[in-house]
Amino acid sequence: MASVTALRERGSVEVQDVSHVYAGPGGEVPALAGISLAVAPGRFVVVVGPSGCGKSSLLMMMAGLRRPMAGTVLCDGRPILDPDPDRVGVVFQDASLFPWLTAADNVEFPLAIRRLPREERRRRAAEMLRLVGLEGFDGRYPHELSGGMKQRVSIARGLVQDPPVLLMDEPFAALDEQTRMTMGQELLRIWSQTKKTVVFVTHSLTEAVYLADEVLVMSPRPGRIIDRIEVALARPRTYEMMASDAFGRLRDRIWRQIRSAA
Amino acid sequence: MSRIGLVLARSAVVAAFLAAWEVLPRIGAVNARLLPPLSTTAAMLVDILGRPATTGDLLTTIGEILVAFALAVPVGAAIGMLVAENDYAGRVLKPLFFFVLSIPKSIFLPLMILALGIGFWQKVAFGIFSTIFILIMGATAAVESVRADHLLVARACGAGRLQTVARVYVPSMLPVLLETLRIAMIFNFTGVILAEMYASRTGIGHLIANWGEDFMMPQLYASVLLVALLAIACNETIRWLETRLSAWRA
Amino acid sequence: MRLSPAAARWLIVAILILLWEALPRLGLVAELFLPPLSSTIAAAVADWREYAAALLVTLYEVALAMVIACGGGILAGAAVGGFALTRNLLLPIFSTLYAVPIVILYPVLTAWLGIGSESKIAFAGVYGFFPTMLGTAAGIRTIDPQLLLAARSMGASFPQRLARVIIPASIPTVLAGLRLGGALVIIGVVVSEMLTSTAGIGYLVTRYRTILDSTHVFASVLLIILLTVAFNALVRAVERRTVIWQTAGRRGAGGGAEMTPAAVVPASA
Repeated sequence: MASVTALRERGSVEVQDVSHVYAGPGGEVPALAGISLAVAPGRFVVVVGPSGCGKSSLLMMMAGLRRPMAGTVLCDGRPILDPDPDRVGVVFQDASLFPWLTAADNVEFPLAIRRLPREERRRRAAEMLRLVGLEGFDGRYPHELSGGMKQRVSIARGLVQDPPVLLMDEPFAALDEQTRMTMGQELLRIWSQTKKTVVFVTHSLTEAVYLADEVLVMSPRPGRIIDRIEVALARPRTYEMMASDAFGRLRDRIWRQIRSAA
Repeated sequence: MSRIGLVLARSAVVAAFLAAWEVLPRIGAVNARLLPPLSTTAAMLVDILGRPATTGDLLTTIGEILVAFALAVPVGAAIGMLVAENDYAGRVLKPLFFFVLSIPKSIFLPLMILALGIGFWQKVAFGIFSTIFILIMGATAAVESVRADHLLVARACGAGRLQTVARVYVPSMLPVLLETLRIAMIFNFTGVILAEMYASRTGIGHLIANWGEDFMMPQLYASVLLVALLAIACNETIRWLETRLSAWRA
Repeated sequence: MRLSPAAARWLIVAILILLWEALPRLGLVAELFLPPLSSTIAAAVADWREYAAALLVTLYEVALAMVIACGGGILAGAAVGGFALTRNLLLPIFSTLYAVPIVILYPVLTAWLGIGSESKIAFAGVYGFFPTMLGTAAGIRTIDPQLLLAARSMGASFPQRLARVIIPASIPTVLAGLRLGGALVIIGVVVSEMLTSTAGIGYLVTRYRTILDSTHVFASVLLIILLTVAFNALVRAVERRTVIWQTAGRRGAGGGAEMTPAAVVPASA
């Protein structure tokens, strides 16, 4: 179990007693209720929970895209209040690539915002595309790419500024199952090469156990962390592991937790 | 049918139409006084283009069209974008704009004539009036076509307000804006020509109306052909621009 | 405290009506340019016989032109749009021709048919025909082919498929065609009457303008606006009655109130 003491190292993520409320059409909606967690640098943590439990909101707050009503979110020991692509890269469910830009231009986008010189941008984008397995696709437009390829570009974009932390909000949810499995493997490869801290949100229990070092289970709204499950399976993870007893037991445990909290 | 086949087939249709225009009056199937053959019309077209009076009128018309467009586009676009920014304003005003589009705008011509006489500025004013509602609605649609998830990505990448406008809004809106411009120009063109035909002492529209009244058929057809060609050329140019700048809109 | 959008619109209309009455009466705007609303209505009421006769002529022309524009346009649109060959062949040609102001053909029509009702009907008919045809051709393609497939697999014969699938699924497209064609025909008739005519509401506009009788000009204009409003209301009433069919059997987003300029395909006059 990861301890909830302050971690000041580069690439650490910490959430301290965060609560949040939305103003809905029928009054206030409590979204998160006193969430606390800590992620050590280089860990792959998966957040799992039923629809509407607030896991995406939590991720938005870690990304600096939303400020919690109460509590603090820290990255590298410092509060994160606004988007900071140097510290945190984000990958959304919809790849959201700009259709008028090529794959390389899309990956370069955060660097262009920072006004980095062209040469530097080109170099880094090419490097990232190579990393995600899309070497040679620099000049392609999004409409020429499959769903899986688009997500790879999106991941490349999230990593291009070399942030220590990568946040991923159900990135494979819109892909078909076979692509999902391939992408999962690819992601683990990229992670082991770059040693980023990853916080990954998903619906899929199988995906959670397959990818994670640690699974955080959230309750339905208002979201709380109801369980932290260490996934002690060996790395690198393989497809065969999915059929093992250990895998099944972990998945069952998560499922029972979610069911009992409902 | 292959692409080349289609292009050839279409050309054949157009050619057949032109051939009918030439042959039917000549063989007497159609009264040649009411519909002179194509060749006569074409010859007359060359003739009238040689007359300084006609070219003068043509330039007047083109001038009115360009001035009206130059004034209407920034104003219409600005209003449209403001309406898009304000959801409430949009919901109140959009049905009104739609309504205005469905009434005959020509009924406002007498109003403008009473206010501005029958000179250059009255025709420009009517051109602006004809086109501005389409511009407003198109600009609103263009802003609304910008995807929220794209804006989220820009924010996540640390883009400031100005950067978001330049790097996300502008490229996103360009296809809709260009299409709006193309259709707005059609409306502008029609408005100016109509104003000239209704009450004017200059301009190609005035010539068309006059020649029609005086039953000078060859001249009438020549000027109609001239305006038609001008309108098509203008439209296709903007359409070409649209295609080139929206290549990514596959 | 925010008004509903509908209430806000009525407020805007009320303010405009108020201004129409107040501005000329207060001398802020010359009466020649904008006669007060009350005078306008008084003139219409006083000369109601003349206006009624003119309105009848106009409505007669609109009705006949609608047969050409809507009847012809919808049928032609279904024929052209329903087959890939004719569609790919002809639609680009018509799309190019759309840029040409049809109003320039009006003097040609008056030369052929005189300045009576025939030329107005012909002009308005042509004016409404092409956009209606294009609109119907586009609309035909939104009918869901899966429905036809399902009907065929259930053993429906062609007349049965026609009556039970094709016709009901076409109703929204047909209504859209009627709405578009009708609006365009009204515009076409009014414009042609204003240009060269001996009768009709548009003719009255021009006649009174030339003698600088603003009050009567505005009375005619008001009647034209009312005519348009009445037509819109009529179409909306019919659409409301047939709303069940609106989204049934359509491919993609239902009804389609997409407000991009191209989708609107409205009149250029």
